[in-house]
Amino acid sequence: MRSRDGNHSFTLSISAIIFLFNSLALHAGEYLISYNYSVKNAILYNEQLDISKSMQTCKGTLSNSIIFPGNDSNNLYEVIETNRENFIEFLHSIGLLVEHREETNNYQNNSITHLTLRTRCFKVDFNDTLVKISALK
Amino acid sequence: MKYSLVLLSLLATLASAEPANTQAPAEKTMDVVTPTPTTSTINVSCPTQECPKEHVTKKVDAPQIEEGDVLERDNSLLISVVGQGVAPMNTTSPAQAYALAKRAATADAYRLIAEKVKGVRVEGQDLIQNMMVKRSSVRTSVTAMVKNAAVVETTFKEGLCEVEMEITLSHSQFPQ
Repeated sequence: MRSRDGNHSFTLSISAIIFLFNSLALHAGEYLISYNYSVKNAILYNEQLDISKSMQTCKGTLSNSIIFPGNDSNNLYEVIETNRENFIEFLHSIGLLVEHREETNNYQNNSITHLTLRTRCFKVDFNDTLVKISALK
Repeated sequence: MKYSLVLLSLLATLASAEPANTQAPAEKTMDVVTPTPTTSTINVSCPTQECPKEHVTKKVDAPQIEEGDVLERDNSLLISVVGQGVAPMNTTSPAQAYALAKRAATADAYRLIAEKVKGVRVEGQDLIQNMMVKRSSVRTSVTAMVKNAAVVETTFKEGLCEVEMEITLSHSQFPQ
């Protein structure tokens, strides 16, 4: 007598493919990231890194990218917090807007420098072991 | 009588023709003169007669890029700066002091690169009253986008962090 699932082998192979696809890959997303800090008289103030999930699809081509170990995490905030220094160096390499003002009044010097990465879209791919963050240009 | 007149006229024509003949060679000599350099003009560049031939045939190497040079089409320009930063007084640990000082030094290095590449806007104002300087102020500012600057070396000593940073500029990065 034939079983109720006549296509047992076909169903099994499809589910295996879906399982494999989900385990290898993939959880991708687009995030908006901005970063800025100020240096006043050679002392750092107000360093701020903002990350939020993009509410709409970003347009552009992939440019610079960096890969971090994922540790089975799908949370970008955790990944960046773990690799904060490397990620900030990566943001520096993308390019920062430098605004510097210096004032000398009666021979007393005061300076302030703002470095800003304007809000930019990043595509993030989560694998089992790696997280790839790519800037969209 | 007729023959004497004819002779006289012939003599007169000959006399008038002689100076013309003497001028003609002078004009030729003027044409013959060519502006080829004489030995004396060659010796001007080497008056002592001791200049070796290497000096004449020596190939000029490509100009070395130094500070203040202009970025040319075929050459790239390496700019190196050293930024300085200090840690705030209220840090909780030496590691935090180092991290904050390094970030401040990085910002200073970025500022120096921006100043070198783009230039600085300077505004100065002096107020002089009763022949005395009452107030003197100098304001400088720069705004630029800096990409692909690389940190070469970082040193941290006695609360002062120094970051050496380099950036390579090429002509293609500045579309005309």
